[in-house]
Parts: sequence; structure tokens; C-alpha cells
Amino acid sequence: MKMIVVFEKAPRLRLIGHLDLMRAMQRALRRSGLPLRYSQGFNPHILLTFAAPLSVGMPGKREIMEVPLEHDVTPEDFVQKLSSALPPDLPVLSARPVDERHPAPMALLTAAVYEAQLEQVPDNFQQTIDGFLAQKEINVMRKTKSGLKPSDIRPMIYDLRLQGGTLHMALALSEKATCKPDLLLQSLFEFAQTERPRALITRLQLLGEEDGVFKPLESL
Amino acid sequence: MNEQQSILLEQLLEQVQKPAQYIGGEMNSVIKDWDSVRFRFAFCFPDTYEIGMSHLGMKILYHLINSRQDALCERVFMPAADMADRMRQSGLPLFSWETRHLLTEFDIIGFTLQYEMSYTNILEMLDLARIPAYRDQRTDDMPFVVAGGPCAFNPEPLAPFIDAFMIGDGEDVMHELIEVIRDGREAKKEKIDILRDLARLEGVYVPALYQAEYNEDGTLRAFYPVDDAAPKVVKKRVVKDLSAAIYPDTIPVPYTEIVHDRMVLEIMRGCTRGCRFCQAGMLYRPVRERSMDRLLELADKLQQSTGYEEMSLSSLSSGDFSCLPQLIQALMDRYRDKRVGVSLPSMRIDNIVKQSLEETQQVKKSGLTLAPEAGTQRLRDVINKGVTEDDLIRSVTDAFECGWSSVKLYFMMGLPTETDEDLRGIGDLAKKVVDAYYRVPKEMRSKNGVRVTASASVFVPKPFTPFQWAAQDTMETVHEKQASLREYLKLKCVHFNWHESGLSMLEACISRGDRRIGDVIYAAWKRGCRLDGWNEHFKFDQWIEAFHDCGLTPDFYAYRERPYEELLPWQFIDAGVSQEYLKKENEKARQVQTTKDCRHGCNGCGLHTWGVCDWVKHPPLKDSDKMSAPLFD
Ligand code: SF4
Repeated sequence: MKMIVVFEKAPRLRLIGHLDLMRAMQRALRRSGLPLRYSQGFNPHILLTFAAPLSVGMPGKREIMEVPLEHDVTPEDFVQKLSSALPPDLPVLSARPVDERHPAPMALLTAAVYEAQLEQVPDNFQQTIDGFLAQKEINVMRKTKSGLKPSDIRPMIYDLRLQGGTLHMALALSEKATCKPDLLLQSLFEFAQTERPRALITRLQLLGEEDGVFKPLESL
Repeated sequence: MNEQQSILLEQLLEQVQKPAQYIGGEMNSVIKDWDSVRFRFAFCFPDTYEIGMSHLGMKILYHLINSRQDALCERVFMPAADMADRMRQSGLPLFSWETRHLLTEFDIIGFTLQYEMSYTNILEMLDLARIPAYRDQRTDDMPFVVAGGPCAFNPEPLAPFIDAFMIGDGEDVMHELIEVIRDGREAKKEKIDILRDLARLEGVYVPALYQAEYNEDGTLRAFYPVDDAAPKVVKKRVVKDLSAAIYPDTIPVPYTEIVHDRMVLEIMRGCTRGCRFCQAGMLYRPVRERSMDRLLELADKLQQSTGYEEMSLSSLSSGDFSCLPQLIQALMDRYRDKRVGVSLPSMRIDNIVKQSLEETQQVKKSGLTLAPEAGTQRLRDVINKGVTEDDLIRSVTDAFECGWSSVKLYFMMGLPTETDEDLRGIGDLAKKVVDAYYRVPKEMRSKNGVRVTASASVFVPKPFTPFQWAAQDTMETVHEKQASLREYLKLKCVHFNWHESGLSMLEACISRGDRRIGDVIYAAWKRGCRLDGWNEHFKFDQWIEAFHDCGLTPDFYAYRERPYEELLPWQFIDAGVSQEYLKKENEKARQVQTTKDCRHGCNGCGLHTWGVCDWVKHPPLKDSDKMSAPLFD
């Protein structure tokens, strides 16, 4: 069986890179005493996949990984064992057992919800946002394999709202299309023609789709 | 730190390289309630996180202090240059990794002294912490600044800065030191009175209570205590029973990559071989082993608490550990299912290990490191390195047969009595190692082809070794020798590494320095020197200027052969190994006479009168019990 696990990467750890986080998680799993599965070959390592790597600098409230297991374990037992093996800034929130054939979370992922806590909010910013979203196309330059290319991110913005000093965003995140929150902020503030304030961006939730409706990825 | 400083730190972290090294919060790092303890210790490592976190001594003492109910210990590392600069510019003082308290909020700041060329980092860290470097400029409310570790055996170069040094094994004296300072502070004693109490502890040196006088030629005339509390001779501390001594069963596991990212099991302390250049071999006498039971218990706990995928064994000469094959076998047995690799400490591929190698891939085939140290048998006899060419070739052949393909050979140049022939010998030896690879049948050896790396460091005479009186080669001579070596090592499959000669010269000055060297270190730091061990930061010219600033010359410290009659700055320290013994060994070196390994009979090094060395009464090992292939770590 496989376990779909939700965990948090607390702000203190936001500067840890993906590979370092992965190694920390592998070591935690090794401490947990859970029946893990290892890769074959010369340097066996624990089988473990993350739904989506987090960029350096970004905390994650509900991150998702998939852990294949040698034999069945109850989710309660899994959470309890793994929790005791994790440092305080990396708590495990829930676990859901699925069978072997269940598609990998990475394959089901379509979007993510973010919040950006802005150090200052420009005047009339709500209006700016409305204007920004009213555009038919939002063309930004993106790095691709063949150099910088223009690309339209408007269809990748599913939600963009201001609440107090916090910007809420739902953006495409999948193997096919991705708009990073950083890119969105850059484009938004260029549109606003104001300097971009410092902002702590947190990934709140990973999403998938069921019958055309977004759902938390871990529930799919 | 306050709210504003926390915000500032978060901002700085976004601007510097490798920010994750500063965040703390690692698994197994100990976070205690600040107000629930009577005493707070900041353990400072005077180098960056990746190096400090790899260091065993720090892990032992961190665990030891935190296992006390009444105390907490937090870690502090030297910030990299970019971080240090930004902290200074923005006014953010140095903080602890666990709870980000400022260093000034601790009761003790303790430095571990592993390397002389990290001393400017101590000054940099104190400055970043806003604590005056010179102890006589610190007020009574400031933390005590203490130090220990191997370099503390000649404490004098740091005497102007450090309140108290711990000499020898730290496990017991650390408790005593903490209690004296804790009680003294709680009783609101004056600092000088607490220092007196400290000086009464065995193994503690309090420089404020001693005076040095110099002759006109710059040599030391006299060195004596100026206070009744201070002993004439400071005796090193020895932990007699290593199995009973505290050892961490849990260690912080870093998020970021560090130099040695694995669990470490200290299997024994000390070394019986008596290499004449080796300071550690003298300082850590006598040899004490941890029992198998204790080691396996620790290994299990460490593995469970860290989740590490690799374990290494630590000691000065692990091959001499009496039950090494049994230990490795036991570790491999219990780690097979857990997928933990055991990295062999050194080269001793005897039958048991060879067999296991065929069964499993658990033993890591990382590079193989051997240290013949000198190129000819004559010079190896001079330095008492009990390794013959046959031993070496047999060891590498064994390793090549097991699939190893890269070998590192460590040599020293500038050893006493060295001639050109000895340098040529280094080239010959490297060549013979390559040949040994090609003699192994094709189907047995690795397909990667052989790669030999010969590294030649510059010999640095160290206190408490038979060569403590020796002159170091001048930098000119070193450069000539390096050029010759480059020629002799122009060989196929051989790569030659050499060392910065200026760094070795300064290391020689500081390691055998007196109190006045403290001012030189300070002047060098003032001139911008720090992180001297890092090539890109090393400023040799500024160091030379610093000597001039203080009216001293490096030649006096590094290049002068010292007569036996001269009073040595570290002579008031009793390291167990007597000065007479060191003289005798030095004389034997001149006559190319070797001294046997202590396990074949006690050599009377001085420690035999202390009642701490098991080998004094131990029946000598017979020649047939001798290690099949001497180990080189
Ligand atoms: S006391 Fe004897 S056996 Fe022990 S270290 Fe010294 S010389 Fe060797």
C-alpha cells in the first residue's frame, strides 16, 4: 500500500532546498521504524515522492508526499510514528492509505493556493487587481529551453483576491502548465506601475480536479 | 534577540549564500526553556557550520551539558564572510543557533580549539557578539570566555583573550567548571574570585594569574603564577574509563550538507604508535578503548535517533582497536536490513572484512586514504612511522582486489633530516602504488582505472612532540622542495596536491607561540584576517604586517631550532608525556632509531606514573599478534 501524507514546512525552514528537505524526510522515515520500501541497486534509498517541490524561501502549510510501504499500517499509527521522528518545524498533519494502483499525487496535481503577505499594500490596490484580471491576455516573458519567450498567464490564474494585507492566489501547477506566484506578483506590480513590496509567500494547499471542481489534492 | 533583530535576521538570510546553515531547528537539536535553567552555555565553534557540525568533540560536550537539568547548551558557528559582513553593517549581533539568544545573554562562551589558523575567527565571533576580545577589557557582568580542545595544550597565544582553559579530556572538568562559575555568579562573587576558584580545579589554566618574562633575545626567561590559587604546573585531565564516560546517543542532524554527514562512533582515544611528529598521538595518551557492549548500544541508539544512512568509526588509529573485525562484523550484521553503510576508518582489509565485502555492499568504497608520511624507510624511521613499503603495497593491493580504485597518499615535507632522496622516495612510492594496481588481475580490479593522489603538507613542529624544538623549513626551501616534488610526481595516473606554505609557517608560529603572539593575532584580525583556513580569505601579507605591528618576526617562532635549555611557553602544562621522554625520542630520531609501539612494552613516556595507562602492566603483544598491516588513518 501507499500512504498519502500531508505535512507542513514551517516558516523557519523556508530556506531549505528541495533536496535537503527530501533527505530530512527520508531520515525521519528511517527513524520512524515504519515498514518502508527501498529502491533496488547499489545505493538503496527510501522510495518517496513529493507532489511538488517547494521553492527555496517558501513555507508550505499542506505539502504532500507519497510513501510506499512494505505492508499495511493504519493511518493513525503512521502519523503517530512519523510525528515522533520529525522535528517541530516539520509536523505531519494527516495520512491516507491508498492502494498500489492509485495514481501518484504528482499526476493528479493541477493547481495550488498561495498567500502573499505584503509588507505594504499600494493605494487602491483592489482596483488595480480588478484591472489586471480584466485583461484578455497577460503576457510575460518566461525562460524556456529555447530562451526567453512570451507566454500568456491569464488562463493560469484561477483566483486572485486581496484580503487586508494578504494576497490570495490560486494558480496553475501541473506538468502541463505552471504559473509561479513570484511571476504573478512581478507581472501584477508591473501592471500597477509600483515597486513590488517585500512579501512572504506561503503555499497553502495543493489542488486537483474532480468533475471539473478543484478539490484538495490529498482527498483525491 | 528582540523582535526587530529577528526581522533583521530574516531579511539578511534572504541576501546571503547558503542561508540554511543559519536557521537551526535541526532534528535532535536541544531547545530548553531559557528561564528554566540556572546556567547557560554557548558552545562556539570557530569555523563555519559545515565544519563545526562535523566535529565530534562538540557533539559530546553539547550532549553532556544539555544532559544537566540545571544547564542549557546552544551552538554558535562562525558566519561565512558575507553573513558576517552583513551582520556587522546592519548591527545584528551574533546569536545562538537554537533559540537565537545573543551571546551576551549566556553565562559562558566556550570555544573549541581544533586548529591554530581558526584563532582570528574567535576574535571575529567575539566582535560580532559585541564582547571585547581582550579579557581585561571585559566587565564582570559579561559572560566568561573559556576554551578547550587539543590546541589548548599551548594556551599562551590566546592567553590575552580567554578567561580559563580546560586542558585534556573535557568530560569531567566541564562539569566542575560549570559548577564553579554557576555558584560564583549566583553568590555574586567578583570575577577575579571566580577565576581563583577555577584555577584550583585540576586541568584548568587561568592566564590572568600568571606572569611571563622575556630575555633580551626574545626567549622566555620565566613563567610563574602570581596568585596562591594558581598551581605552578597545570596537569591535563584524563578520563580513565571511556566506556563509563558520557557519549551522545543522539546528535543534531543537519538539514544542509556538511563535511561529514553521518554518525560517528568514537571507538577509542589515544594511540600507542608514537609517531614523532604527531601531536594528537602524544596529547591523547593513554590509549583507552570503549567496550564492544557500549559501542553496540551507542550504535543502536544513534541509528534510531538520527536515521543516518552511514556510520563511521573514529579514533587516531582505528586499526589498532583490539576487536575491530568483530565490531565491523557486528555493525554490518545489525545494519544490513536498515541499509546503513559502515565506512571503514582506515585501511585494514583483512579476511573478515574482505569476506563481508563480497557478501554485501555495505562497506563504502569511498576513496582510500593512507599516510606513509615520508618517502623513504630512513625518514619513516626518523619519524617513527612504523610502516614499511611492503605493508603499504600489501594494503593497497588488498584494496585494489576488493574493487577500490582511488588512493590518497599523505606525505609531509620538511621533516627533520629530510634530503632530496626522501622527496624522490615519494615519487617512487606513488609509482609503486600504481604498479600494484596493474599487477592485480583485470577481472578482480575496478574498471575505473587507478587514480593516486599524493598530498604533501608542510611539516609543522608542534608542542609536546619530540620535534617541538625543531626548526621549520623556510618558505623558500618549501617552494624549492615543492618544485622538485612536482617533477618527481609527474607520473601517469598520479595527481599531486600541495599546501599553502604561508599558512603552515603561520601555523608553526602560533602553535609554538608565547603570550605576545596574542597581540599578533589581534593585529591580523584588525587588518581583516579571518577564515584563514579558507584559501579565498587567507591574507598572508596582512599577517606579516601584523607581526611587524607588534615588533615580532615569524622567523623567531617558526625557523629557529630551540635549544633544550630554553624555557618553552607551554612547559608549565603537564601533558603526561614528560619533557625528558620527548628529548630522548628526539635524540633517537637523530640517530634514526625507532621506538616500539607501547603495546609491545611500556616505553615509560611519563604517563606510567599516573596510573591511567592500561598498557603499563599489560603483557606485551607478541610479534605474531601484531597487526597484519599497520593502519594509517
Ligand atoms: S605509559 Fe607506557 S604504555 Fe602508556 S602510553 Fe606511555 S609509554 Fe605507552
